[in-house]
Amino acid sequence: MSVTTKAAVPAGTTPPAPRSTVSDSESGISAFVRRLFSQRTLPYLLLLPATATILVMLGWPVVSVVLTSFRKLDLGELFQGKIVWVGLDNYTTLISDSSFWQITLRTVLFTAACVVCTVGGGLLVALLMKHVYGWVRVVIQLALVLAWAMPILAATTVFQWMFDQNYGILNKTLVVLGFSGFHHYSWFQTGFSTMAVIVILITWQGIPFVAFTLYAGVLGVPSDLYEAAGLDGASSWQTFRSVTWTALRPLVNVVTFLSLLWDFKVFTQVWAIRQGGPDGGSQTLPTLQYLKGIATQHFGVAAAVSVIMILALVVLTGQNLRLMLRTEEVD
Amino acid sequence: MGRTRKRLASVIGLLVAVVFAFPIYWMVTTALKPANQLLSDDYDLVPLGLTFQHFVDGISKEGFLNSLGNSVIVALAAVVFALVAGLLAAVPLARLRFRGRKGFLLLVLVAQMAPFEALLIPMFLMIRSFDLLNALPGLILVYFAAALPFTAWTLRGFVKGIPVDLEEAAMVDGCGRWAAFRRVTLPLLGPGLVATSVFSFITAWNEFLYALTFMQDPSNVTLPVWLSGFVSKFGVDWGGAMAASSVFTLPVLIFFLIVQRNLVSGVTAGAVKG
Repeated sequence: MSVTTKAAVPAGTTPPAPRSTVSDSESGISAFVRRLFSQRTLPYLLLLPATATILVMLGWPVVSVVLTSFRKLDLGELFQGKIVWVGLDNYTTLISDSSFWQITLRTVLFTAACVVCTVGGGLLVALLMKHVYGWVRVVIQLALVLAWAMPILAATTVFQWMFDQNYGILNKTLVVLGFSGFHHYSWFQTGFSTMAVIVILITWQGIPFVAFTLYAGVLGVPSDLYEAAGLDGASSWQTFRSVTWTALRPLVNVVTFLSLLWDFKVFTQVWAIRQGGPDGGSQTLPTLQYLKGIATQHFGVAAAVSVIMILALVVLTGQNLRLMLRTEEVD
Repeated sequence: MGRTRKRLASVIGLLVAVVFAFPIYWMVTTALKPANQLLSDDYDLVPLGLTFQHFVDGISKEGFLNSLGNSVIVALAAVVFALVAGLLAAVPLARLRFRGRKGFLLLVLVAQMAPFEALLIPMFLMIRSFDLLNALPGLILVYFAAALPFTAWTLRGFVKGIPVDLEEAAMVDGCGRWAAFRRVTLPLLGPGLVATSVFSFITAWNEFLYALTFMQDPSNVTLPVWLSGFVSKFGVDWGGAMAASSVFTLPVLIFFLIVQRNLVSGVTAGAVKG
């Protein structure tokens, strides 16, 4: 570190010249401390805690997950501290396992379903909010905030209760409405309907954010555009397509992108509802990672699952960033 | 035509509101219903009797208060650490000129995109090698790291929003650099600090995967993990489960009301631009 002129002043001998930047010139401060806090090193000192944390707690795990995916790391190797490189074995194990492909396909379909329902539903709610009475809008917003504020696991527990086979309010309601087939109907009997419940849960949790974001966009559309469309005799569908949708599209892209990233990684709801059951019928990549790694302690294979997830996320992120940049250029 | 359409839209709007509010209504009313009305075939959307028994039972259930305390400790500690480290980083990134500034900015930006859920295995191995498995500090460390990039980035935005002239004016008036920051910038940062800490708190409060993985000892679990094991541990006690869920929801609800204005912009700013 270079020594600045100010820091070179010996401690205790306060120069008579007025110095606006360094006020604390008590005699106790050593030249070393002053040099440490000199103009030049100060930014790096301030950044040190954050940078160190990010590098150790985020940078290293990213490197480590790739390295681990090339190792055989079961309980034995873990306790002996042995490093056994196995090349691509973990990946070939996964790829040659048909259930892995089934889980991957399920994860992709599950993510797609969640994103389509969340963004579609959120868009509808946002548009609806524009067309209702003022007090109704307040009621909707209040309900959305309530849903949004509910902790993930609280919501998951409530949904399990509502979908309960024997005393759940949903089955009771369906019976009252005349669908007597739902009397004591089990929603968690098949993987498909378990997944459907999870999609409903995630959509319900995800719509508030999307709806609020898009509603902010709806409010941002200049009203003279609507007037102009009205003067041109546009139908309401034409107005929506040429005015509202054009204005909202960049925001829709953003929320679609965010929902993709969030929903692809969902673990909590899937695990809390049936731990991937029945019979692995609601297993997704995040739960597979947990199952392989933590529950059955094949850390190498689990790391390979993680790497595949990260690669998918990188591709998604890259694609969508490009898409977002492009739409912003068009604007 | 226009009026009937508005009326129709409003009716649909009210139905939408019911759909979104119903689970929370159902949670609270189930928690308040007498036990004999829960496991019955009657169709009762409105509770016919009120009792606080489930809250009393739920709170005295084994491990509830303990896990609630763990959740509070972990979330608060992570927020405080993230706030301190984040603010320390935000000030130079917003205010000072130095070599490598762009590089640090990029680091924070990229770190925000880190897929935490996919780093479970290396995190587990690392925390294990620190000998922090099954201990609250291990979880605090992960939540701190998860909250830090967002906190630093958002606070940087807030610091940038405060005109540097104000600080300079204070310095002209004889304040030192630190005093100018403490007396002028820090008070103005108040809302930003509240908003970012609420977001980090909620994230830590909700976190499940790491809490489930790290905490093997029942006395160290956080509330989400405790709640997820409720039915298997205590049988079908939906009243108790809903009472516990209500208690779990309450702090988040309060925080949401505090930051309601920043809700949307906060999430998008943190997630999109980073």
